[in-house]
Amino acid sequence: MVSPILSQLNRPDGSAAYKCPATGYNILGAVNGPVELPARRDALKPEEATVEVFVKPGTTTAGVAERYVEGILRSVLGKVVLGREKGFPRRGVIITLAIAGGENMDRGDSYLTILPSLLHAALLSMISASVPLSMTFSAALFGVTKTGDIVRDPSPTAAKASVSLHVFAISSKGHLLLNESEGRFDFDTWELVHQRALSVCQGTASADGDVTMGEGAASASLHGLIREAVEDQIYSDYAYKLDSI
Amino acid sequence: MQSVTRPPQNNHSDTALNLDPTILLPPGYYQHTYMQSGNMSAPAVLLPSDEVPRDNLPTDNSNPLRLGPGLRILSQPSSKGSDHVLTATQAGMLSIDAKRNAASLLTFPNRRYIPTVNDFVIAQIHHSSADFFHCVITPHTPHALLGQLSFEGASKKTRPMLKQGEMVYARVQSVGVGAGAEVELTCVSAATGKAEGGMGPLSGGMVFDVSTGMAARLIRASSAPVENTDPIEGLVVLSELGRKLESLGGFEIAVGRNGKVWVDCSDAAEGAVKATIAIGRCLQETDQQNLHAHDQKKLVTKVLRELKLVS
Repeated sequence: MVSPILSQLNRPDGSAAYKCPATGYNILGAVNGPVELPARRDALKPEEATVEVFVKPGTTTAGVAERYVEGILRSVLGKVVLGREKGFPRRGVIITLAIAGGENMDRGDSYLTILPSLLHAALLSMISASVPLSMTFSAALFGVTKTGDIVRDPSPTAAKASVSLHVFAISSKGHLLLNESEGRFDFDTWELVHQRALSVCQGTASADGDVTMGEGAASASLHGLIREAVEDQIYSDYAYKLDSI
Repeated sequence: MQSVTRPPQNNHSDTALNLDPTILLPPGYYQHTYMQSGNMSAPAVLLPSDEVPRDNLPTDNSNPLRLGPGLRILSQPSSKGSDHVLTATQAGMLSIDAKRNAASLLTFPNRRYIPTVNDFVIAQIHHSSADFFHCVITPHTPHALLGQLSFEGASKKTRPMLKQGEMVYARVQSVGVGAGAEVELTCVSAATGKAEGGMGPLSGGMVFDVSTGMAARLIRASSAPVENTDPIEGLVVLSELGRKLESLGGFEIAVGRNGKVWVDCSDAAEGAVKATIAIGRCLQETDQQNLHAHDQKKLVTKVLRELKLVS
C-alpha cells in the first residue's frame, strides 16, 4: 500500500500527497499559513484564524460541486484548527487540494466518494505546515447496497448503484466530527454504519466481529495510517538527531 | 580568517529553542509522577491532541517546567478537583532539555516562520515612512516595523537611508498583544545601545532562502562551543566550506530565523561571486536533500569543483 507523503513540495509551508488505497483517488494538498487575508475578510472573525479551502479538479475548472465540498471541508477543518494560537488570529490558513488522479467523475456525481481522501490530504498538509490543531481525525466512506450490505470505500460506479452513501470523520479521541449522508436510509442502518466507521478509523473490532474479510491490509486503522505517515517524515527529517543518540 | 558566523552568541540561546517563557508550570508539578526515564531508543513523536508521556519529562522539580511552542497545558476536571495534562498541538518529535528544564516539540522544518521576541531575522525593506521602515519578514504577511532611529548611533541627522529592497539584520523587539498586532524590529540592543551580534544593514553579499528548520539548525550549530569538533546538529557543511575557502579570504554569514541566510565573501576579490553562489548552493542542497555529514562533505567538494574554485 502506498502511504501518504508529507512535505513533498518546497514552496508551500506544508504539503501532502495522499492516494486512497481503495478508490485510487490521488490528492495533492498544500497549506500556506498564517498569511494575510485579502480585502477585510479578517474582520469577520477578528479573534481567530480563517480557514480557506480550494478544491481543484484535475480535468475541469472548479464549479458548483467543488464549492459545495469546499464548504464541508471548511466547516470541519475550521473546527479542528486552533485559530487563537500565537501568530494566527486575524490571519488565514489557505488549503489548496488538487485532484491529481483517480477515476473520472462526471458532473453531478456524488462528491462524497472523494471526500475522505480530501479530508486526509488536508489534515496531513496542515500537520506538515505545523498549523496548531486541537486533534487529528480520519474519515471513511461507506455505501449501503440494495441488499443492505455495508461496503467500505465503494468505487464511483459502485457508489452510483448503492442506495445510500455515508461519510464519517472520527477524531483521534473517538468523537464524530463529520456525518454526511446521501440517499434513503433509516436510523438503524445509520447506526450500523456509524459503528463500522468507528471500528475502521480507530482499528478496534466492533462487538459483533464486524471487521470483514477482504479489507486485508487496509484493516489496519486509519488513525494508524495517519500516525505512521507523520512519524516516518519526522524521523527522516530529524535523522541527524537520531544518529547522534 | 576562517568562516565568521554572525551572531547567535550563547546569551541568546533562548531564541534557539524558541521558548515562550510565559507558560510556566509551578515547581514540583510532576513530583507525584516521578519515574526514571528508561527507554531512550526512539524519541516520542507526538501528533496533535497526544498527551506528553509523563515519564519523559524532566524530573528536576526545583525549577518550573518551560513549554516551547507546540505544547500546551490543559486542565481536565476529575474527581479530585482538576488534573493537568500536557498535550501537543502540532506534530513533532518531543525534545527535552533536562538542564534548562524545558520541553519543546521539533516540528516539520518547512513550516512558516512566526515572529517571536528576541529572534534574529533578515528583513527586506519594502518602503519607508516618516518614523518607520516597513519590512518584509515572510511573504504574504503584514509588514514588520523597524524604527528609523533604531540603529546603532542613529539620530535625526545621522540615520541610515535604506532604500526599497535593501536587507537588514534585525531582532524582533515585540510582537504586540492581541489579534493582528504589529511586529516591531530593532537593530540595537536595548541594554547597551550597540548593534550586538552584527545587527544593522547588510551591504553586499547575497541572501539565500532555506527552510526555517535549517535556519534554526544553523543557529544552534553556531552557538555551540568552538572547541567541539564533532559535527553539531549533523552539520559539517559550514566548517568544510570555511576550511576550503580559507585561501580565498573566508566568508561571512548571517542566519535569520525566518529562513534566510546572507552570505558575503567580498574578501575573495575575483572569486567572490563564485564563492557566494557555492556557499548558497551547498546550504540549500543540504537542506532540501537532508544530507548526512559525509554527503555534505562530498557536496562541498563537488560544488567547488564545478565552479572551478578549487582544483
